[in-house]
Amino acid sequence: MPGAAQAQEGAAVGAAARRPALRVEHLSIKYGDVVAVHDATFAVDEGECVALVGPNGNGKSSIVMGIVGLAVRGGRVDLFGSEAPARNVNWTARHGLTLVPERRHLYPALTVLDNVVLGCYSWTRNLRKARTSAPYERALALFPELERHFRQRAGTLSGGQQQMVAIARGMAADPRLLAVDEPCLGLAEAVSKRVYQVLGEIHAEGRTLVIVEEDPRRALQLATRQVEVRNGVVV
Amino acid sequence: MKLGNLLIAGLISGSIYAVFAVCIAMWFRVSNILNLAVGDFAMLGALGTDHLVRVLHWPTAPAIVTVIVACGVGAYLYDKAILRLALDGRRRQEGIVITFFFTFALSFFIEGLAEVLFGTNIYAAPTLWQGNSLSWGGLHFERAGLLVLACAVVSGIAFTAYIRYTLSGKAVEASGESYVGASIVGIDTRRYRRNIFIMTGMLAAVFGILQSPLTGYAFNSGGTIGFTGFIAAAYAGYQKPGRAVLAGVAIGVVESLLGGYVSTQYNDTILYAILAALVLIRPSAMGLDVAVGG
Repeated sequence: MPGAAQAQEGAAVGAAARRPALRVEHLSIKYGDVVAVHDATFAVDEGECVALVGPNGNGKSSIVMGIVGLAVRGGRVDLFGSEAPARNVNWTARHGLTLVPERRHLYPALTVLDNVVLGCYSWTRNLRKARTSAPYERALALFPELERHFRQRAGTLSGGQQQMVAIARGMAADPRLLAVDEPCLGLAEAVSKRVYQVLGEIHAEGRTLVIVEEDPRRALQLATRQVEVRNGVVV
Repeated sequence: MKLGNLLIAGLISGSIYAVFAVCIAMWFRVSNILNLAVGDFAMLGALGTDHLVRVLHWPTAPAIVTVIVACGVGAYLYDKAILRLALDGRRRQEGIVITFFFTFALSFFIEGLAEVLFGTNIYAAPTLWQGNSLSWGGLHFERAGLLVLACAVVSGIAFTAYIRYTLSGKAVEASGESYVGASIVGIDTRRYRRNIFIMTGMLAAVFGILQSPLTGYAFNSGGTIGFTGFIAAAYAGYQKPGRAVLAGVAIGVVESLLGGYVSTQYNDTILYAILAALVLIRPSAMGLDVAVGG
């Protein structure tokens, strides 16, 4: 009977894992007269790790920017069963999707600790509560190598260290879905491996991951499925 | 006693620069835009209160409240109607364009409005702490001057504590550092920018009411006094409100000592020379590279 119970539990987990975290339907994005993304449709289930792959300049980052609300979009985006309003990045952040953007977009004049604690802003306005919270402590523990830089301004860190801070800030938001755009862009191979190792740990916690990656081989070390984008179209 | 009284005079005139520097630094921190109209809000506070009390015979307290609220509403409407379109519209403008066209334009607009409403004479709001100047061991303190000093210290401490010890204060900093970086963690950068614009406009109005009994205001006083705050904020790198207060007070003290022991003719020359030297030696530390770049 324990075996049956385990099987039932496994089936329940499987059913939960099949619930859609993100559903994108007929997404289109234009910059002026230029169509960057046309009629993109795909879905990501809870607990999945999906890689958005394709050559540079083909619309991968635009899709992510459109999903989170940083780019004007057409079509429909559902996040954990709720329709996401277009061009409202604050709504997306409050509803469990956090983006680690390409080129990181840290706050260069603020310390590493301040950068990370601001990730908590999506769920609290209380600094003390944020600093004593489990997501914040977990985020700081992701990269122990950052510890001696905690009080250093983020703008003075190396590219790899800045990427680590960006991921830690994203995790302080305690996201149900973490989207990481080109996490290894411009990083040394050793740092890239470290970043992917931590992304693997994050995924192992059961969080949904969407990774935008130019190199499909690297992405598929972690991703269970890939969505290929070519010339602004999902193929 | 001469040195002591010169220091007191310097502290008080420095407090004037300090408050404007705080207002400029706070809004720059959240928006990367220099608000050249902040002195005009002070002028509106002073002349508006004077007009309601002296001409329309309102009691002082309701007049002050009405003028401060009117300044807040005016700032809100300007943000809604102009700044939002310029900063967030499809054809959003760079910071330097906003600084020189939209806040400068606001300054001219307020001056024109004040000239029509209040005329060209010099007036002052009623003195809130009446009586002769206070004396202690040969040192003389103007009561209005003490209020001005208190206003500078309280606003500097309050804004510094807000930024250092609250998450929303850090969100203000994040908004100025990176629009995308702030937005992705749920920070509503527009709301912070608007609120700080309104708050600093109202603070400037309060300050104008407190300070006008010392110097008086005309319709065109705001530009000059706001520009001095702009210089004090430059010493603080347009970033830190606490440092802006210290810079403003230091400028006032140096000016006063130069006036007392050398000549008042050299005040501006020396201040601008020090500023120019700092710009050349440590531009990044002063934040001027950011300020010019928008």
